[in-house]
Amino acid sequence: MCVLCGEFVNRIHWTDLNRSQSGENIVVGESQKQRQQDRYRKTYLANQILTFYGLKLEDWIGSKFILRDLKGNTEVVQDIGQLWPAAEKLSKRKLDPLDPALMQFIIQNQKEDMP
Amino acid sequence: MSINQRKKPVTIVSGFLGSGKTTLLTKVLQSEVMRNTAIFVNEFGKVGLDHHLLQRLDESTVLLGGGCVCCTRRVDLLSGLQSLLDRIQRNEVNVDRVIIETTGLADPSPILFTVLTDPVLQHHYYIDQVVVTVDTVNGHFHLDQQPESIKQISAADQVVLTKVDIADEETVKSLKARIVGLNPTVLIHESVYGDLALDVFSYHPGIQAGRRPVAIDRMTEEQHIEDTKSISITFDRPIDWHAFGVWLSMLLYANGEKILRVKGLLDVGEDGPVSLNGVQHIIHPPEHLEGWPDWDHRSHIVFICRNLDPEEILVSLKAFQQSLGAVPRQLNFQTV
Repeated sequence: MCVLCGEFVNRIHWTDLNRSQSGENIVVGESQKQRQQDRYRKTYLANQILTFYGLKLEDWIGSKFILRDLKGNTEVVQDIGQLWPAAEKLSKRKLDPLDPALMQFIIQNQKEDMP
Repeated sequence: MSINQRKKPVTIVSGFLGSGKTTLLTKVLQSEVMRNTAIFVNEFGKVGLDHHLLQRLDESTVLLGGGCVCCTRRVDLLSGLQSLLDRIQRNEVNVDRVIIETTGLADPSPILFTVLTDPVLQHHYYIDQVVVTVDTVNGHFHLDQQPESIKQISAADQVVLTKVDIADEETVKSLKARIVGLNPTVLIHESVYGDLALDVFSYHPGIQAGRRPVAIDRMTEEQHIEDTKSISITFDRPIDWHAFGVWLSMLLYANGEKILRVKGLLDVGEDGPVSLNGVQHIIHPPEHLEGWPDWDHRSHIVFICRNLDPEEILVSLKAFQQSLGAVPRQLNFQTV
């Protein structure tokens, strides 16, 4: 259950499972630093793709993600699994990592990032 | 420590009509080791199964939003597993494992979906493995005629070739090559009257994740032109698990129906690999293993695709190589 919005979160998406969570006991508040770092990393990685569709993902106080388009429309997403249908809805485009145009965009951006 | 330690393992037994599922089960249930096994069957065949924990399911499904066949909830199974859980927790029965026998025409993915996504069931059961029986004599015919049988093979962890005694050697050989061509990660057994049943059921892919997908020699694929193809991919160094997760979840969202299976071990720079296993949209919770099963510490992942050129996956991984932090490469030949 999300304490902020009362939404029932009944499953953990597989991208959110990591080594610390495969143990038997999870202490509340444990490894928060790592968790937050992981969230920032995922947000950064997702944005590399989402920029191509004119979208931007933000971490919302370590609890949810907020997806925005350039006109200011927003969607709240719980995890990476929910991100793609929401992104498709906002951008009104079909998202596919096999799309040659997207791949070209990613390669181009990587070249620009090179020192 | 494994995430699944307190859960009951569920084995799914699938296979075409008359391919020997019930024979296999009858053999297993005679064993003392398997006494505390709960069984769900879809149809009572001519061979009578006699067991105190046997339950019959009348297949009823609920298609969830999106309309993809694999994201279908089996309501019958849901209530069956829930009432079993109830009985276990009241100490009425003692159950070590659950076996679900599907109908011959069933696609195993809705069963995986039901167990892995239900808010209650996912904490009490895990899918241990999918066993598929193939009638050796009619195997090629089934694979040619029935697209469902190809789905079953691609979802399998183990394939049992049955009736090997009445098939000729050539058929056994070509059928094996064809099955490995469809699913390079699968372990194949040859069986006569369910004689290997115990071996099959005591094998746990989760524990023995050491078995690596076998990269196949393309030359063995013979004359069968399949619309189902697979690709084995490795990386030159550890990959960024988050980048791979973002990429794979997007890939499965867009092409889940075309990607029948994802399976492999990934080097993510930890002590052990991440064991990844997915059937269509459904990904088993990835397990971060304590250590590598053998000397080979390379990532190795197999994609089985239908109506999709697997080369495209490699091209896409190459495009994302900077985020992944590693260069992907295709594995072509038998490496095990």
